[in-house]
Amino acid sequence: MIPGSFDYVVASSISDAVSLLQQHGDEAKILAGGQSLIPLLRFRLASPSVLIDINRIDGMEYIQETDNVLHIGAMTREAELDNSDLIRERYPILLDTSSLIADPVVRNWATVGGNLAHADPGNNHPATMLALGASVVAVGPDGERVIPIDEFFTDNSFETTLHPNEILTEIRVPAPTDRSGGAYIQLERKVGDYAIAGVAAYVRLNDAGQVTYAGIGLTNVGPTPIKARNAEQFLLGKALDDASIHQVADMAAAASQPTSDTRGPAEYKRAMVRTLAVRALQKALGRATGGE
Amino acid sequence: MELELRINGIIKSLDVAPNESLLKVLRQEGYFSVKHGCETGECGACTVLIDGVPRPSCVTLAAQAGGCTLTTVESLGTMRKLHPLQEAFISTGAIQCGFCTPGMVLSAYELLKRNPDPSEDEVRDALSGNLCRCTGYVKPVQAIMRAAAMQRGETVPPISSPGSSENFKPWDPGRSPLEHAEYGASTPDDPTVGAASNAQIIAPNTPESTDDSSSQGGTATLVGTRTSTDLSIVGKPERKVDAVKLVTGKPAFVDDIELRGMLHARLLTSPHAHAIIRDIDASEARALSGVHAVLTYKDVPRIPYTTAGQSWPEPGPHDQYCLDNRVRFVGDRVAAVAAETPEIAEQALSLIRVDYEVLPALLDPRYAMDPNAPRIHPEPESYRIHDASRNIAAHLHAEVGDVERGFAESDLVVEGEYIVPQVQQTPIENHIVITYWDEDDRLVVRTSTQVPYHVRRIIAPIIGLSPRRIRVVKPRIGGGFGVKQEVLLEDICALLTIATDRPVKLEFSRAEEFRSSRSRHPQILRMKTGVKRDGTIVANQMTLLANTGAYGTHSLTVQSNTGSKTLPLYPCAHIRFVADIVYTNLPPAGAFRGYGVPQGFFALESHIDEIAKQLGMDALALRRQNWLKEGDENPLAKALGEGKEGYTQIIESCGLPQCLQIVEEKLNWQEKRGKGGSGRFRRGVGIALAMHGTAIPGLDMGGASIKLNDDGSFNVLVGATDIGTGSDTVIAQIAAEVLGVRMEDIIIHSSDTDFTPFDTGAYASSTTYISGGATKKAAEQVRMQILDVAGRVLKVNPESLTLSNRIITAHNGQTMTVSQVALHSLHIENQQQIMSTASWMSYNSPPPFAAQGAEVEVDTETGVVRVLKAISAVDAGRVVNPLMAEGQIEGGATQALGYGICEEMVYDQQGALLTTNLSDYRIYSAVDMPQMESYLVETHDPFGPFGVKAIAEIPIDGMAPAVANAVADAIGVRVYQIPLTPERVMLAIHTQSQNAKR
Repeated sequence: MIPGSFDYVVASSISDAVSLLQQHGDEAKILAGGQSLIPLLRFRLASPSVLIDINRIDGMEYIQETDNVLHIGAMTREAELDNSDLIRERYPILLDTSSLIADPVVRNWATVGGNLAHADPGNNHPATMLALGASVVAVGPDGERVIPIDEFFTDNSFETTLHPNEILTEIRVPAPTDRSGGAYIQLERKVGDYAIAGVAAYVRLNDAGQVTYAGIGLTNVGPTPIKARNAEQFLLGKALDDASIHQVADMAAAASQPTSDTRGPAEYKRAMVRTLAVRALQKALGRATGGE
Repeated sequence: MELELRINGIIKSLDVAPNESLLKVLRQEGYFSVKHGCETGECGACTVLIDGVPRPSCVTLAAQAGGCTLTTVESLGTMRKLHPLQEAFISTGAIQCGFCTPGMVLSAYELLKRNPDPSEDEVRDALSGNLCRCTGYVKPVQAIMRAAAMQRGETVPPISSPGSSENFKPWDPGRSPLEHAEYGASTPDDPTVGAASNAQIIAPNTPESTDDSSSQGGTATLVGTRTSTDLSIVGKPERKVDAVKLVTGKPAFVDDIELRGMLHARLLTSPHAHAIIRDIDASEARALSGVHAVLTYKDVPRIPYTTAGQSWPEPGPHDQYCLDNRVRFVGDRVAAVAAETPEIAEQALSLIRVDYEVLPALLDPRYAMDPNAPRIHPEPESYRIHDASRNIAAHLHAEVGDVERGFAESDLVVEGEYIVPQVQQTPIENHIVITYWDEDDRLVVRTSTQVPYHVRRIIAPIIGLSPRRIRVVKPRIGGGFGVKQEVLLEDICALLTIATDRPVKLEFSRAEEFRSSRSRHPQILRMKTGVKRDGTIVANQMTLLANTGAYGTHSLTVQSNTGSKTLPLYPCAHIRFVADIVYTNLPPAGAFRGYGVPQGFFALESHIDEIAKQLGMDALALRRQNWLKEGDENPLAKALGEGKEGYTQIIESCGLPQCLQIVEEKLNWQEKRGKGGSGRFRRGVGIALAMHGTAIPGLDMGGASIKLNDDGSFNVLVGATDIGTGSDTVIAQIAAEVLGVRMEDIIIHSSDTDFTPFDTGAYASSTTYISGGATKKAAEQVRMQILDVAGRVLKVNPESLTLSNRIITAHNGQTMTVSQVALHSLHIENQQQIMSTASWMSYNSPPPFAAQGAEVEVDTETGVVRVLKAISAVDAGRVVNPLMAEGQIEGGATQALGYGICEEMVYDQQGALLTTNLSDYRIYSAVDMPQMESYLVETHDPFGPFGVKAIAEIPIDGMAPAVANAVADAIGVRVYQIPLTPERVMLAIHTQSQNAKR
């Protein structure tokens, strides 16, 4: 099919993009990597009257760590995460996440910001960012605001709390501490497919090995990206051992709301959340304690 | 909007609409190497480099590329000076249909720019965005590794088999056009660019001596009984004759032409699984500016026909109508529009008002024969339906001996039910056709088909033209695999040209290809087998229920093959085969490579393992004890012909013992079988055997015409339909062999109903055997004519002359070149055109055989099955081109892995297909591949040209049961249904552990 007709405008700067959004309101859509949006346009699942291309804005593609915060420009391509030494060495959970997205051709263009802003429960980054306790920066006519990631997604599929006149510009991730680690694991029917189920886990430990922070995010097992809050709470103050990991995995599974579809029956997916949560937590623990 | 694009170094200012994709604009500008395969960025056929980075141009707006530098394959190399990647793709045999080749080459090009020395894994990763349905990625990966080495300046070993003619360059302009003085054989001028294969010819019966260097790149080894070296071109890995144009992105496919005033057609399809169209109002659509024709059932004749492209009279149900007032599945055709632009055509579709009376839908084949089930074909005009009142499209019953007595006489009777899915052929090129009137008021149909002659005959009555006014042309085809043995779009497109007097293009989108084309019949098979304690099979019974969907097309013949090609593998006194093929309100099944046989072997070869388990026997020993041997008669061949009584088939050649021995050794069966263990990851090995047929006996026929030109070259005109398999090359090899000339002396032209003789088409693994047989016969006649002329000139008995290396030699040492004979015959004396036409058919269909094995690893916590190794050993008789034969094995085995592991069409409760894109319907990509090994076991069969048997379908027959057997070996419990999805495997593991607790 052919996309419906629309106007195409190139934003020259973030403020330009914002004023274009102001001008066109609900009728406008931001075009980032386009890997999700253009198929939506083709199948007429979205029919904006204006597309605002933000690919030409300078300075939206970066990965840098300053003041104990990792800053990822919203237009950073997945391939840049794949190839970043900083990411590989200090944020392996992000490499886990990006490298599982589709295929290299898609990753050359797909953006981290787009992956989040599209709010597809099947996308990988939402779960990981939920686990990491990240935040996103939104710029609108009134300036910039920082939205904690757990306030970014709503209870509806494909919806965020971004205002129609706001643009997502940056993702901020807390830098790792001495004893912290995370991992993202997903189950796929074949390489590059959307996850049957995916689990992101991130933990910080104190010197006694007790959990001081736990983040658990789930991919593609509900209408929205899911943060397994009960499971996270449960871990606080506990040591990560076999018993607690299995208990928390049960709680993560309980937090999932899968439906049966071409990627498997709901019951199977729920069971897999449990299995993957165990693996993600074990891997996160390994990384937190100096292993891989 | 104005746009400046820098395409391949040329700056172009273009006026584009904001919603136009880069793909569309590039093709409009004549960059035909950029292909349309999907619309969602999943197949990679449309890959281009934007500022040096690969990007799918179908999900890129042209506007986004403004000011960017674009690179397509057209700029990489030319026909005379190829880029090393292009050269390597040709020399390793990495090109089959060539449709996805430009995209793969660009992805590889970018990889090598940033990483000149990639590992094989890195190559696979870089290729993983480019889907290929033909090659199994084995040779493309080899090609890229080879090109990388060439670019690093390393010497690449010539990978050719002994004695191959290495210097074939189809683009070589050659020396003087008449080559008077050229007596010697050609000399290789660049050994590194030679046609090449890893195939080795190994001494007879010594599989243990085969080289074990097979990497994940895959190497095929030729293990043979061939001892004669009398052949100079047949048996050599010659380069594919169309490879250069494909790798350079020349406009070779249906869509790669521009016709002035061409209209764009679109189909309106049914949203309901079952409905009557009470009325349809197209007036608004017709009134839309830019719309030139709208066709509904009111505008076309109601003539029952079948879309199955088979010989006349097609034996299956004639239950389809060009456009009907009843729709029988979601995706069934309702109306067609031709308009100035695709956008207008799509808009017009939305203006067609259809008044549907929705009927109860039949979605489960198990209820089809129920007296209360909805009747799908109540119309009286349809014919050759077995029993329309019970929704039975076709029924088969074949029996030898008395199975009930056989079961009674058995020590053990083993039963099992096996379920196989509906899967889709998924060629990367969707169905596409362009029709137009030529200057003689004849209708030209340029179509992506496997059956040009059947297309002409089948559409003639529907469009109301006699076949003499129709010319069907088949250019290069981007994969078929059976789905293009169906006449799906040609009739509508032709009717639109007739209605508008304009050229019209009609193509399926990827979603339409899934929803509205054809697929493999899903089946439920029940096996019941009686055996003696010692393992002797006494009686064997297969009963099956197959779902043909809304139309019967190939229902009869596909299911006939399920029995006739599988049960004879284990001949016994009592065999029964019963099949009911029923209608449902789901998209129709049809022809798919393997044609019913993969279904049958999944059941049979899984079942044999179960029998062995119950007998406590080694699964291979049980097979060896019971299998078919040379000299045996196929017990079902006569009972199950092509919709009628068949012909007796005696097995003259059978390489099964050697095939099995190779796979057993390469899989390390003795050491690995039964060692699944109890850990989280469990490994297992499994083997399945398979046999197939070579063409349809007493039915398939092909013709060839050969004529000699002044310079000693020959035009070879064949009806044979090369759909990417390489049949043009194989036929050229056969012609060159018989005529004693080089490959470049053969100018092959195939599949044009005006210019080439009849051929049934590319199906039933027939082309090398049937069309090759016709070519050999015609070439032999031409050769005799050449020798006659030479004999007259040299004044010797023609029978005493020899012809090789383009030279005719007499006993007394006199010589003449073929060119001299041509000049003499055409211009000097007793002038005649040396030429001949011949056709060939056979009442024999010698079966090729195969053993296929897999090693798997099962994650028992998730049920995920990873295939680690896939090994095929195939007896395809004499192999004409080992390089291309390997390609057939690798591609077929890969499709079978998808069948076994991840491919399945899934519907919602209303019968609407859910798997309508290449993300939800999963075919293997380069990173999914296991280590793949292929072995060619050569036998010599007396019937076909040079002893050939078929190669195209046999590799798809046994891999899925091999994988299933390996999984059963790993986890100790069988999964009776494919694909072996994680949840099915998990359920089996779970059930087993529950049972163990009881």
